[in-house]
Amino acid sequence: MSLCVLEEETFRHCCRLILQQSEQLRDGWSWESVQSVLVASAGADSIQGDIDDEDDDADEGVCTVSEGSSQVLQYEYHILYSCSYSTPVLYFRAFTLGRSLSLQEVWSSVHSNFSFRLQNSPLNTITQQEHPLLGQPFFMLHPCRTEEFMRPVLQVAQDHNRPVNYVLTWLSVVGPMVGLDVPLKYTTSHY
Amino acid sequence: MIKTHLADDKDVLRDVWFGRIPTCFTLNQDEVTEREAEPYYLLLPRVSYLTLVTDKVKKHFLKVMKAEDVEEMWFEYEGTPLKWHYPIGVLFDLHASNTVLPWSITVHFKNFPDRDLLHCPSNSVIEAHFMSSIKEADALKHKSQVVNDMQKKDHKQLWMGLQNDKFDQFWAMNRKLMEYPTEEGGFRYIPFRIYQAMSDRPFIQKLFRPISPEGNAHTLGNLLKEMYPTAIPNDGEPKRYQVVIHGIEPLLETPLQWLSEHLSHPDNFLHICVIPTPTD
Repeated sequence: MSLCVLEEETFRHCCRLILQQSEQLRDGWSWESVQSVLVASAGADSIQGDIDDEDDDADEGVCTVSEGSSQVLQYEYHILYSCSYSTPVLYFRAFTLGRSLSLQEVWSSVHSNFSFRLQNSPLNTITQQEHPLLGQPFFMLHPCRTEEFMRPVLQVAQDHNRPVNYVLTWLSVVGPMVGLDVPLKYTTSHY
Repeated sequence: MIKTHLADDKDVLRDVWFGRIPTCFTLNQDEVTEREAEPYYLLLPRVSYLTLVTDKVKKHFLKVMKAEDVEEMWFEYEGTPLKWHYPIGVLFDLHASNTVLPWSITVHFKNFPDRDLLHCPSNSVIEAHFMSSIKEADALKHKSQVVNDMQKKDHKQLWMGLQNDKFDQFWAMNRKLMEYPTEEGGFRYIPFRIYQAMSDRPFIQKLFRPISPEGNAHTLGNLLKEMYPTAIPNDGEPKRYQVVIHGIEPLLETPLQWLSEHLSHPDNFLHICVIPTPTD
């Protein structure tokens, strides 16, 4: 069994752990059922979401971030499980004043360091895709190279006999590239 | 259209590739024109994508419009925006299957519905989408081994074959994606998507093996029973749904492995539409 293959049940388990942590940190990840996607907007620098009953492979967080200017951007992140690639996949979209952001605008709102790295990174492509459960356009971080950057991390953890939350580790790599920070508190908690 | 003898398997591949839908494109009446726009008729390839084959449609309507009134072109059928990233045949079977031909599509150049449709600024977006489907299909069939062993020019050949409607060029490469180790009896998992006309969810896609643990070939019926049992009537009940692939209803006893090899779209996915049986 490959080290980097994430089984669906493990994915759910990892998400449950993240949710437990999220509840304590109050930073708004929720496990959403497909039909009702609840969105709550929040003030600058905070993330908020709603808890709903678990029914599907979706894990969603909403955050509203204030830019330096008066523009308010609202980002929505979904973590789904890809059974084709046996990895988590990140879908996201962004709005301002009720209008969807284009990919260009998303690039320019991400921190300039990441923006440059991301556009030139061989490990990730961001494209517009149909959300497989909602049927609406989202941006997606392509999963086919996840194994490449996960393998060294998982190998080290295995060598040191340290348990790893696959989804959390993965999120801490890809999240910042698209403006989603994973607070340190997640990693200091008991796995 | 579909023959069932093994000797005619190659004919099936050709019939699928060359399937066409007669279509009538009409300009949305709210568009601003300098004079009246005539409808435009076209035979659409079932296996291609709307934005790839409608350059002539665009040129035709642009003749009666001012440049400033033209934004990204999009298509709609009876109020439903048509997803260009779905194969044309799937859109037809799903939305207009049992209606009179030609298929009447409305063309828009304004008010792009960006909550419903992906943008399609160029052919390279279509190519990326197409190749992404092929890669995902191979991840399911061969753990990506076959597609990763191909060179960039091989990938290009698949795309160019589709773009230029070149059956031989396409299949010279695609046949590699249809091979499997003899001892396995089939692919690892079957790449498929089941679409339902009346559903919030865009499609059903899950892991499903072509061969059972006991070594029996799974059928189309087995797949539906597992993924969408409502589609199959119980004994004695009337048939409420049609299960349509490339405009036909294959027998539910058809082996899934055979369907995957012969009735997949060029993107290597088996696209299955479940639609209500017409009431009359």
